[in-house]
Amino acid sequence: MAATLSRQKLLREWKLYFFVLPSLVMVLVFSYFPASSAVYHSFFEWAGGDTKQLIGLDNFRRAFHDQVLLDSFLTVSVLIIFNLIQMIPSILLAVLIHRLRSDRWQYIYRVLVVVPMIVPGLVRLFIWKFFFDPNLGALNGVLNFTGLKNVLVWLDHVFGWNVFFANVPIGWLSQPELILPSLFLWGFPWIGAVGVLIFLAGLQSIGQEVYEAAEIDGVGPLGKFIYIELPLILTQVRLSLVLLIVATLGGYGLQLQLLNEYGGPGGRGMVPGLWMYNRAFYAGEFGYACAIGMILFAFILLLTFINNRYVRIDK
Amino acid sequence: MSAVAPAVRSDFRRDWSKHIFILFFILIELFPLYMMFQVSFKDNSTFIRQPWLPSSPISWHWENWAFAFKLVLPYIANTVFVAVTGTVASLFLAILGAYFFARHKLPCSGLLWAAFLALMLMPGVVNITPLFMLLKSLKLLNTLWALVLVGIAGGQVFNIFVLRNFIEDLPRDLFEAAEVDGASHLQQVVNIVIPMSGPIIGTLAILSFLAMWNDFLLPLIVLRDQDLFTLGVGLIYLDGEYVKQWGQIMAAYFVASIPLIVVFLFTMRLFVRGLSAGAIKG
Repeated sequence: MAATLSRQKLLREWKLYFFVLPSLVMVLVFSYFPASSAVYHSFFEWAGGDTKQLIGLDNFRRAFHDQVLLDSFLTVSVLIIFNLIQMIPSILLAVLIHRLRSDRWQYIYRVLVVVPMIVPGLVRLFIWKFFFDPNLGALNGVLNFTGLKNVLVWLDHVFGWNVFFANVPIGWLSQPELILPSLFLWGFPWIGAVGVLIFLAGLQSIGQEVYEAAEIDGVGPLGKFIYIELPLILTQVRLSLVLLIVATLGGYGLQLQLLNEYGGPGGRGMVPGLWMYNRAFYAGEFGYACAIGMILFAFILLLTFINNRYVRIDK
Repeated sequence: MSAVAPAVRSDFRRDWSKHIFILFFILIELFPLYMMFQVSFKDNSTFIRQPWLPSSPISWHWENWAFAFKLVLPYIANTVFVAVTGTVASLFLAILGAYFFARHKLPCSGLLWAAFLALMLMPGVVNITPLFMLLKSLKLLNTLWALVLVGIAGGQVFNIFVLRNFIEDLPRDLFEAAEVDGASHLQQVVNIVIPMSGPIIGTLAILSFLAMWNDFLLPLIVLRDQDLFTLGVGLIYLDGEYVKQWGQIMAAYFVASIPLIVVFLFTMRLFVRGLSAGAIKG
């Protein structure tokens, strides 16, 4: 019965397939084909030309002994931990804006949060690169002006880092020890406009009367955050955290532009995506680059799986 | 009126500590914009003497801006072509696809849906090596069409996913009435779906426009001729100059932001609302 019905429908509505056809063709050609091509070529030694040689699992064997790749996974794990900290200001800002009593001010701040988005991402990156400049950069200027530089030099003496010296400008992007701190610092205070707006949307369901009731019960500002606000935006926080982590794990544009294709001095900023890019487009080892891509893909898939399995995003 | 103003002011007084925190964050966030603007009017020696405060308007170096316009305008033209063509085509195809999934259960539509959803798990960056080889064999290297086509394909999954949910929630009676009147599917899309999903289409359009506007990894490996450079590659090229004229560079950055400023002026409300509303749904 059901079969005949769908057959009738098929005869009547077959033209509808043309609606989905263009999307399907685009996705097959530009997403599925490259993906399967990556799987296929990861078993080859391939310089990008017509000649390629089947070498089985050698690319993967090489990857597991590639010290640069192994270190890069360590670096990217640190960057992911940074992500956790970098989310806090956005949450804090959203909560503070939401707690304002005046709707007009809420709207004004919402717009002001969005304003920095008018700067293209790459320009933002380059302005920060300019801030990191040892002689002209704003970061060293602020540190000198506020006296924090002296604190850093003092800390250096205490802990023996050998990084900060009294009369030498700090080379944020040229000293290997400072590469990871710079990758952490850039974009301070890490306000993501989209994130703030999404958190605010989640907070919208809390009415003013809930706060008044909490005040009568003597709940302090921190208590309000833990018992009222955080539970309501937990879904959004988890969601944007997962998106951030996936983006960090696979991303390399930041490292490529802020440092260089070798991850800066000492390769301290090398991440797996950058090494893949480097092998493909600087060394011409396309087969090996595909293998690195597969390994990276496996990690991202594992992460997505863990997220779907254990971190349920409930509506 | 006189009753409202004191109320607002007393709200402000009670919330002043929050305002200070919020302003602190927002001012730091806006600091790069300020620096970009004031440095764009200085030459290197003025900038080194006084990096922080704007110089007086009499001694502003407008030639920085002239240089920036001359340099960046062709890049902007290329980027506008890529981002606008890509966004319009991507959304049009996505609306058709979403209509297919939302309105009718035809044989195989479940399978096709799974084929789209599976791509959500696939990170695009991992594909860049074989994608480059594909574009090479399609003779699309060093063309803007390569960026447009990849942009369209990349946007399909997310856009179809969001639009399908939205179209499914549209009242069924509308479509049935249109069918009784003999409207074809394409007419239903044009006359019902598109007018009724204006805000969500607007939000998706801004998001995909921004994504294509900001992309520089693909253009970096695809484009070779300087005539074809999009903003991303052009700015990277400028960053690679050996002796840096910071005033000129900052003016170029500012000019590069102007199209987005214009887009935001017209769509700020849509953006703030649309994103907030969309976030509640999904």
